[in-house]
Amino acid sequence: MNALKLLPRRIFAFVVRDFRLFVSYRMQFFLRIISVLAVVTTLFFISKIFAGFTDPQFSQWRDPLASWLTGLAVLNYFTTGFSSLANSIRQEQMQGTLESVLLTPINLPTVIVASSAWDFLETTFFSFLYLFFGRVFFGVQYRGSFILAIGFLLLTTVVLACLGILSASFAMVFKRGDPFGLFLGAGSALFSGVFFPTQLLKTYAGPKLGSISLLLPATYGLDGIRQVLIEGHGLAEVTRPLFILLGFLVVLLPFSLWVFGRAVRRAKREGSLIQY
Amino acid sequence: MTAISIRSLSKTYPVPFLRLRKFFRRPAKDPVEALRDVSFEVETGEIFGLIGRNGAGKTTLTKIVATLVQPTNGNVSVRGNDSVEHDELVRREIGLATAEERSFYWRLTSEQNLLFFARLHGLSDRYAKQRIKDLFAKLELDEVARRRFGELSTGNKQRLAVARAMLSSPPVLLLDEPTRSLDPLAAARMREMISALAQQDPPVTILLTSHNVAEVETLCTRVAVISRGSIRALDTPKNLRDLTSGSETVHITVSSGEKISLTREHNDNRLDEAIRSLQQRGERIIDIETERATLLDVLERYEAADERR
Repeated sequence: MNALKLLPRRIFAFVVRDFRLFVSYRMQFFLRIISVLAVVTTLFFISKIFAGFTDPQFSQWRDPLASWLTGLAVLNYFTTGFSSLANSIRQEQMQGTLESVLLTPINLPTVIVASSAWDFLETTFFSFLYLFFGRVFFGVQYRGSFILAIGFLLLTTVVLACLGILSASFAMVFKRGDPFGLFLGAGSALFSGVFFPTQLLKTYAGPKLGSISLLLPATYGLDGIRQVLIEGHGLAEVTRPLFILLGFLVVLLPFSLWVFGRAVRRAKREGSLIQY
Repeated sequence: MTAISIRSLSKTYPVPFLRLRKFFRRPAKDPVEALRDVSFEVETGEIFGLIGRNGAGKTTLTKIVATLVQPTNGNVSVRGNDSVEHDELVRREIGLATAEERSFYWRLTSEQNLLFFARLHGLSDRYAKQRIKDLFAKLELDEVARRRFGELSTGNKQRLAVARAMLSSPPVLLLDEPTRSLDPLAAARMREMISALAQQDPPVTILLTSHNVAEVETLCTRVAVISRGSIRALDTPKNLRDLTSGSETVHITVSSGEKISLTREHNDNRLDEAIRSLQQRGERIIDIETERATLLDVLERYEAADERR
């Protein structure tokens, strides 16, 4: 109970720490903003190649720039969802600060959640930048409920965070060579429909490869968000991806927590918690 | 009252994925037995020393007390809380200062570093800032409060580690070589502070591990000699010295320039007799030096015994 009461304070401590570390590298911050603008501008010109040629069966891709920008913004978020939990542990291990953090009356799950908080804030900012630059400089129009889109985003991020917990468990025991990161990192960009409709995979790569996208939570998250933001759909029309994501959550949340508990016990028994 | 209780503690570091290695017939190292049946108690307000060579098991023992490593057998309790069952409660009661420089954030200032850890301890910002100010004054760190950790000297880094251990005013402090990188003056002040902590009200219990046996001898009420994972001797520094050798050599220099050496047993009257006889001869005593067994001799004795085994 006390730990729960102190959780916001501890998250605040990590956010302040990471903000201070972040602003100690000011140049990096400005370069990232410029790189987002460069990507959005490049995509704008690429989208002009397809002007008037979009296949009508791909209703979410009538404006490819809008699709790419939502795809990139959301992919950014998803990547943070599954990678930041494991990265937070690894980074503390590599810096040598994990031991001193774990010497405070704070448990490991809190460390992981709290030390990922800044990543989510940072990603929110940069994801928003994709949409903002698209809207302000290139006239991209978004329709539908932003609240529903954010709901989808949060749900998908929580589902991916469950995979992130599995990834963090892996990092704790095996230190390197995380298969979840590899599968989700490379897989999401290719198979979730970030840059092209997933239906094309089936057409060109065959039904087996095409069906990989069905296994990825990010596919349903992106589909839901695009249905809302680009096609202007309401809650009643996005129940399919919504229920599939909830299904993922029901299975993955207890499983990932169970695996994580075992990984922590193993690392403490081996005395390898702080090794990397 | 007992502050730290260690009962039948053993720790063997398992070989990762041993069964898998055996299955694939890969060579596997033997598990490392770091601690073997260690038992002792540290009383409240006591400064308890732990000496031993590198790899003797001191760090493993400290880490188990600090809940960072789980024991294979036996248990540790800190002020009644088991280090495995109630690890969070134990961490509320302890502060650990190690000489490990990498345990801080190098791009944050000394103050920002301590404020971060104070928040993790659940201290309010107002209290934490005042506490940090007090600790900086106590440990002579005021001048480096706003300097990045990476810019600090090794001695200041070490003092900052001690300040961090004391942040939440824990009743138990685990100090791992607290004076290793300090200059002689700073080291003396650190020793004074450690002594004062044990005498304050309420007293702080201190588990001190050090390679500086003279420091351990000066500060500690009791000392445990650890060798190859086992406690080989545990007593007051004086009793430990007497275990090795009850005798001491006294060198006396008198006004005529003559130097007299004598070996005496503890508590015998040979020194009184020698002084009396010199005074009767009209000599004035210029200097007296005593050579007695130190904890280093004790350590050497147990190490030699272990090597013979």
